[in-house]
Amino acid sequence: MRVYSASSEEALRARNLLKEWASEGFLTAAQYQRMEQETVCDLRRTNIFLRLVLFLFTLIIVGAAVGLFFVVFLSRPSAQTSGVFLLIFGAISYGAAEFAVSQARLYRYGIEEALAACSVGFLCVGMQFAFFSGSHYSPTPDAAEFLVPAAGAIASLWIWRRFGFPYAFLAAMIFVVFLPGYWTSSHSAQHLIVAAFYAAGLTSVAAVRSRHRFEYLNDGYSLVEAFLWLGIYLSINLQLSSLNFIGEWWVAPRALTEFSRSFYWATWVLIWCLPPTVLARGVRRKDRFVIAVGAIVAILTFVTNKPYLGWQRHTWDPMLLGALLIGVALFIRRWFASGPGGTRHGFTAQRLSGKDKQWMNAGSAVFGLISPHSITPSPQSGSPEFRFGGGDSGGGGATSDF
Amino acid sequence: MTILTRLEQWKEQGIISPEQHAHLADLTRGEPCSLFLELNVLLFAGVLAFIAGLGWTVSTWSRQLGDVLVLTILSAILAACFWYCFYRAPAWSPAETTSPSLIFDYVLYLGSLTWSVDLVYLENRFRVLSGQWDLYLLATAGLFFLLAYRFDNRFVLSLALSSLAGWFGLTISHWPSHQDAAYRQYAILYGLIVGVAGVFLKHRGLKSHFFGTYLNIAANVLFWAVLSGVFNQQSYGVWFLALLAACGASLAWGLARRQFAFVAYAAVYGYVGVSSIFLRDVTGETAVLSYFVVSGIAMLIVLVQIARRFRREA
Repeated sequence: MRVYSASSEEALRARNLLKEWASEGFLTAAQYQRMEQETVCDLRRTNIFLRLVLFLFTLIIVGAAVGLFFVVFLSRPSAQTSGVFLLIFGAISYGAAEFAVSQARLYRYGIEEALAACSVGFLCVGMQFAFFSGSHYSPTPDAAEFLVPAAGAIASLWIWRRFGFPYAFLAAMIFVVFLPGYWTSSHSAQHLIVAAFYAAGLTSVAAVRSRHRFEYLNDGYSLVEAFLWLGIYLSINLQLSSLNFIGEWWVAPRALTEFSRSFYWATWVLIWCLPPTVLARGVRRKDRFVIAVGAIVAILTFVTNKPYLGWQRHTWDPMLLGALLIGVALFIRRWFASGPGGTRHGFTAQRLSGKDKQWMNAGSAVFGLISPHSITPSPQSGSPEFRFGGGDSGGGGATSDF
Repeated sequence: MTILTRLEQWKEQGIISPEQHAHLADLTRGEPCSLFLELNVLLFAGVLAFIAGLGWTVSTWSRQLGDVLVLTILSAILAACFWYCFYRAPAWSPAETTSPSLIFDYVLYLGSLTWSVDLVYLENRFRVLSGQWDLYLLATAGLFFLLAYRFDNRFVLSLALSSLAGWFGLTISHWPSHQDAAYRQYAILYGLIVGVAGVFLKHRGLKSHFFGTYLNIAANVLFWAVLSGVFNQQSYGVWFLALLAACGASLAWGLARRQFAFVAYAAVYGYVGVSSIFLRDVTGETAVLSYFVVSGIAMLIVLVQIARRFRREA
């Protein structure tokens, strides 16, 4: 099913690891050179920056080419005609992605990724135009319109399986969010259906990935499992359902009257049960992505608990959360450090990979620039003469005034 | 063939020693599993949440708490952070130095952000400098630069650079009329100062590993400033030439130093600028779309050639 052979992807993984080990000094230059010769593969790769730019320009070309076709060859086409042609362009884009991989041997090169992404986009828009007359969203949509997001989800899943792009799986998850709206008007049922889809996906992935523990597929499955855990959490945390949830929190706790009382409190219990479950799963499998999602959902549970209970938020809540996070990090670090060789139960706080340092360097530069703007919320109440927020251009909010 | 099988083969062939094999096989299996990055992210998020809550609390409850208590708390946090950093810091070195502990960088970051909160509070309550925010920002930027270089901290260096940018922005905001041209000139001046300072400090061997941060910020600010000139309705020719020169320099630097972010900057900013010039007087849909198809393909070919040439750096 996969467009790349297992041997090619294993060879690529081996090359990446060898490069990392050589840069960390675990291998001598002579060893690296000799071992690298045995991991030759024919796939063509590029670095992340060129990959992004190639993705962008491929999108521009495909979008402009399709637009040009409509302008030159079709004057005022009907929605159905446009839809049919978009479906054809979707097929052409997908074919081009397959061709780029099979003939040019592109691997995470940007071009084949953009073509695959375009194929999903054209498929969905084309189906909407061809079969549903390009009708816009209405409160009571045509029940059969669920086929559009369903097709998007299936196509995205196929591209994930075929090409291995993790974001294609994420796209499939996003398409799934739109499905229940066509089936039921009950918000509770919609949340349950989405969570059920994700849970089914999680069960499947968990069953499959155990066979690939030390293979090249493990990283991909790890990321997908992390996405699914996060998706399940987000679908059951009713305080995170609204896109405007942050604004609503600061003004007043939300009154989620559209949900039954039992359903509401069941989800509250679940948002407290999920973080330890996810963390335990991640720790047991030594899976960093799942552990990271476990930490994220734990923080989200702390953040959403008060709105859930309808309690008043206090200005010092973020301070307490921050102190808790710092305390947990320090405790874990000390606990690891006090173990033999700085290790406990197979975990360590020491840096073992050069990649971690690269991420840290890039992250510290970027987040150091943007974080001062985002950490100073508008005042909740009280002191009308004081304003504290924003910051004209960094400086930890030093440019704003009370 | 999995990497574990390969390692076994390389051990049998004598390419790696049994000790190396054991170590590398453990790493492959995730034994031990490092949570270094996760703990750092947790600390960073903790500091941000703490300082956000601190600022919010101070701004909301300052009247009830009173100036003395607020300033005492802020100053105590500040003093504790800086005491810890100066007490625990290793001797200064112009080269890259590793942090003495996991939390060290974050204590300094917390101290720097608390300084900002403290300063804002002081000025707003007591009007020490009569609202001369630009002076505060300049002084803060200076302090952050000193701290960043003393303790080798990229977080604080980024704060220093953003504070300096804020000083440029605030200085302009005092002017009676806000004109794009003035902002552009100051942005270019800021970009040049940051770039030249980065080159100078690298040349002097002072924390050379910070150079990338300087260069990336300078390049992006300069590109934005020059692009805004290209979008002008009149006298955009000079800016267009400046954009071409900047793209050429960025491309040459990126290719020579294998820093492909600069190749990407040249490609994207250059394409946007050139497209705005070409499409300035073009109104027909066919012409516009044809332009994007042809120019996109041309860019793709050039970029693929560059990617092929540097394939080994992938």
